[in-house]
Amino acid sequence: MYFFLENLRISITELWGNKTRSFLTAIGIVIGIVAVTLMSTLITGVDNLFDKSMSFLGRDVVYVEKYPWIMGDDYWLMRNRPQIDLEMASKIKAQSNYALVVAKERGRNGDVTYGKQSAESIFVHGVSTNYPLVSPIEIADGRFFTESENRARSQVLVLGYEVAENLFPNENPIGKEVFLRSHRFRVIGILKKMGKLMGAFSLDTQVILPVDSYEKIFRTQWGMRRISIKVPESEMDNAIEELTGVIRVLRGLKPSEKTNFAINQQKAFEQQYSMIKMAIGGTGLVITIMSLIVGGIGIANIMFVTVKERTREIGVRKALGARRNIILGQFLMESVMITGAGGVGGLLIASILSYVINAFVFPAQMSFAVGFMAIALSTFVGVVAGWTPARKAADLDPIEALRYE
Amino acid sequence: MTLIKVKDFYKIYQMGLTEVRALNGVTMEIQENEYLAIMGQSGSGKSTLMNLIGCLDTPTSGDYYLDGVNVALMSDDELAMIRNKQIGFVFQTFNLLPKSSALRNVELPLIYSGIYSKEERMKMALIAIEKVGLGDRMHHKPNELSGGQRQRVAIARALVNNPAIILADEPTGNLDSKTGVEIMSLFDELHKIGHTIILVTHEDEIAKHAHRTIHLVDGKISKDENIK
Ligand SMILES: Nc1ncnc2c1ncn2[C@@H]1O[C@H](COP(=O)(O)OP(=O)(O)OP(=O)(O)O)[C@@H](O)[C@H]1O
Ligand SMILES: [Mg+2]
Repeated sequence: MYFFLENLRISITELWGNKTRSFLTAIGIVIGIVAVTLMSTLITGVDNLFDKSMSFLGRDVVYVEKYPWIMGDDYWLMRNRPQIDLEMASKIKAQSNYALVVAKERGRNGDVTYGKQSAESIFVHGVSTNYPLVSPIEIADGRFFTESENRARSQVLVLGYEVAENLFPNENPIGKEVFLRSHRFRVIGILKKMGKLMGAFSLDTQVILPVDSYEKIFRTQWGMRRISIKVPESEMDNAIEELTGVIRVLRGLKPSEKTNFAINQQKAFEQQYSMIKMAIGGTGLVITIMSLIVGGIGIANIMFVTVKERTREIGVRKALGARRNIILGQFLMESVMITGAGGVGGLLIASILSYVINAFVFPAQMSFAVGFMAIALSTFVGVVAGWTPARKAADLDPIEALRYE
Repeated sequence: MTLIKVKDFYKIYQMGLTEVRALNGVTMEIQENEYLAIMGQSGSGKSTLMNLIGCLDTPTSGDYYLDGVNVALMSDDELAMIRNKQIGFVFQTFNLLPKSSALRNVELPLIYSGIYSKEERMKMALIAIEKVGLGDRMHHKPNELSGGQRQRVAIARALVNNPAIILADEPTGNLDSKTGVEIMSLFDELHKIGHTIILVTHEDEIAKHAHRTIHLVDGKISKDENIK
């Protein structure tokens, strides 16, 4: 401990005496540490985002759609698939053992106006009455529509939080009449604020209306259409298998024919996300390893130069009774101080960047463990890089060292 | 009591095809509290002998008993301990740490002898630096000191740990005669209080302070005489 403090003192003096050199030497380590900490911060950020986004979809809901959510170049093979017929919904419910709730959804973009106020290009969402059971939406004020309103194709709708804010800055929207495609609709409810899905698509900028009313005013086949089915979460795979069979029969497909629809689930996104995470992790790891190796080599180099420059000093110290391990410790300490300072600097930069990401991109916090690991890692690099030069110093012959010019 | 016993010391440097015999068979004994001057022409092997006595260097062949212990059998760390505790070395070229103050230079051997209290070390270093009359210059760096003052710092450093043996290689070599006399009176005093003093010089005036002189010629003792 005593020699540790003494060596610490010497190292600080030496490094301070060579500020520029110490600084330049530490840059590689700084980059490495920034890369590794930022990488793990981003990964936890993506994790958070994933969890939050996925809650919109629901872990126990599968979606029958024309296209799978994740597809590659096979889009061209699928574009001739038939549209999803929403009328299958009741048959699916009747024939499937797993389907707990079967909801219909249609949707497209449109404008809603109220007096001079207008909400443009928002998502107009036509759904069946049981939609709230397959979605996390909650009513903040008013009510959802009823089955009789749906059957009667009543012109009623529920406003997303942001749409309500925009159209009715100072009024209570409930009971007011708004225009959708020149049709008059009565507002019966307002949704709670939901936030954004993956930072892009927002559930707050939608209006929800009965699917039958939707089909009355939008006659085209165009737009989103899907059947959302709630199944027991633990039986997901069996449910998908059974549903695929049921729908194939409903579509009259022969066993030799390919399935011409997709049953999507959140898991597909999970796979996509773990790939993104792996990409971030891989890139970060490569940058980290590269810069730590390059930085470490740089430090080893500088330490060799330092040992050479200070050969006489080493000779004096040995002549006056410094033992081998003390000299070894002195130069190891110096190398660890450089990498340690680089680690702390990197951590500082990474925390600032994390803060910026957290404030402007998505929620991401740097964890304590990551900070600790960064410091441990940079110390480790310091020991490895400094080992050989320090040993060289420790093994110098005192008289040779004293004679060195 | 015999403090230093050197037997058949050879130090041979192989320089390509030619070999340089810096020491060519030196045998001698030095008693406790002796005051010895080693003399000889430049290149006669004086510094080489001093480095061997000071446990800084190892002979090509020959035996060295220090205080009855065979030095050849000691580990590097044990030798470091000997250099730290038993021997105070004043180098021909001072060998002070250029970036450290005089006081800090004098403190250095105390650090390596494991005196953990900074206060204690400072007290001892101050006593040593005052003994050589440099109390008012202790915060100066070596390049802010004159040659004589640097020599005093080197002497203070050599005696701070109170070693039995003080080795001084040309302690007055770079100094004017007045300063030389002052430095020599320091050695006289150290001898008086019981230290064994071995110094290298080529000046008869300086050698007169010693009680015994050894003359080296081409790495061999040519004359060994007691003068007091
Ligand atoms: N490291 C070395 N390599 C080769 N030869 C050496 C080495 N050190 C000393 N010598 C040679 O050994 C001989 C004795 O050198 P030494 O330094 O002991 O002389 P010295 O008596 O102290 O001379 P001076 O009075 O000039 O200091 C010289 O011829 C020198 O060239
Ligand atoms: Mg010499």
